[in-house]
Amino acid sequence: MTELRLITGTALAEPTPAGVEAAPLRLPPGRHGIPANLVRAHQRLRLLEAAAAALAEQGYGRLTAARVTELAGVSSRTFYQHFEDLWACLLAAYETEAGRLCQEIEAACAALVEQRGPIAEADRHGRARAGIAAALGFLAAEPAVARLLSAEPPPQIAALAAARRDLVERLGAMLRGILEPGGATPLPGLERRLIGAALALVASRSASGDPQRLRQLEPELSEILLASL
Amino acid sequence: MSAEASAATNQVASLGANRALEGDVREGAMEGVLIACGKLGFRETSVRAILEQSGGHRAQFYQHFESKEDCFAQAYATWIERLCVSLLEAAATTPGWEAGVREALVRLFRFVTARPAIARALFVEVQIAGEPAMARHEAAVERLAAAIDSARAEIDSAEMPPEATGVFVVGGIESSVCEALSAGDPSRLWDALPELMHFAAGSYFGKEEAEGAFERASILLERERARLMGVEEGDEER
Repeated sequence: MTELRLITGTALAEPTPAGVEAAPLRLPPGRHGIPANLVRAHQRLRLLEAAAAALAEQGYGRLTAARVTELAGVSSRTFYQHFEDLWACLLAAYETEAGRLCQEIEAACAALVEQRGPIAEADRHGRARAGIAAALGFLAAEPAVARLLSAEPPPQIAALAAARRDLVERLGAMLRGILEPGGATPLPGLERRLIGAALALVASRSASGDPQRLRQLEPELSEILLASL
Repeated sequence: MSAEASAATNQVASLGANRALEGDVREGAMEGVLIACGKLGFRETSVRAILEQSGGHRAQFYQHFESKEDCFAQAYATWIERLCVSLLEAAATTPGWEAGVREALVRLFRFVTARPAIARALFVEVQIAGEPAMARHEAAVERLAAAIDSARAEIDSAEMPPEATGVFVVGGIESSVCEALSAGDPSRLWDALPELMHFAAGSYFGKEEAEGAFERASILLERERARLMGVEEGDEER
């Protein structure tokens, strides 16, 4: 998580060797002179990252708040100071990562226009491809986040299910916005079905445990999505 | 096997349970776990809730299954196989790719509206349950994707769609089913039939064919909605 790395410094940006569990990203114990609000923000970010990691590890069926606190390296008391329950924590993680995913896509499309000017502005398929590549690159870099955003959440957790619906709507609107800016939508549900299918494909590739398979999906996914709209 | 499960199994053995009925007990528990999970959610479902659906005793349950998870996995394998066979048969016995896909969707929607709790377990709760049921789920998706990929026989080699198209189309249909079931309104799937035909045909043949498939499904749905829907909703689940 980018924000976490900004707070914790460059050492944390170094990747953990494969098969080695990352050490909890804890602040120094005792008196450290770090302002209380920064400590609190740091704890929250660790919990959000741990929620995605615990979900990838345990799945929705076995996910527990205890595992989230363990991975975050905080106490149960600290967990409940931040979140009402497990689902509130997971919802916050979901919304944070969904926001980051959308920002990545928007930034990639904007960067293309900045680099290539009016040509890129007119090249709608090119911009859509840039957005799709950015989304897959983002998800491949963070497999736990890919799992969090692509897996179908328990419908009983209404807020989480609603957050997923919002993400699907938002990604669908972004796709349509690039391809037909300001245009009427002939089939209101089509983008939703395309994005739902894309997320199912991401979930399936993520489950394979090989992030490279997600990156390699870009040409195929772009071709299928663009053929239908 | 847990100590509780072992004790329960021994209890049944000592009672000399009627073996002729054991198949019914197993089948009943498998249906019961799917209905309970579909109604309560996988996390909230207990062995007690399963037995409330299926009848029978804990001892009988543990003679066949090690746990709720084991029962769900076995039930999923059995029911997803039945559903796959039924959908593949609907498509195979209907001439033409487009009509075959439409017929398979009609059969799927009939199942989902007639047995919403079981459908919710098969489509939504399996993703909560995780392994080993999810491995079966992936296999079912691959199998249906291979069948839907028969569209390639009607496409010029120069315009062949990407390899992932079959899995993509099955994923889109599944995601629409999950959406309707999660919203507690499976009957809304019928309204989505033309759009799903647009989505499936468009993924293989492009926009023009997609619009034709949409039109044909819309006309069919308008004209024969009652016949297509076939059965009343939720007619069996207690």
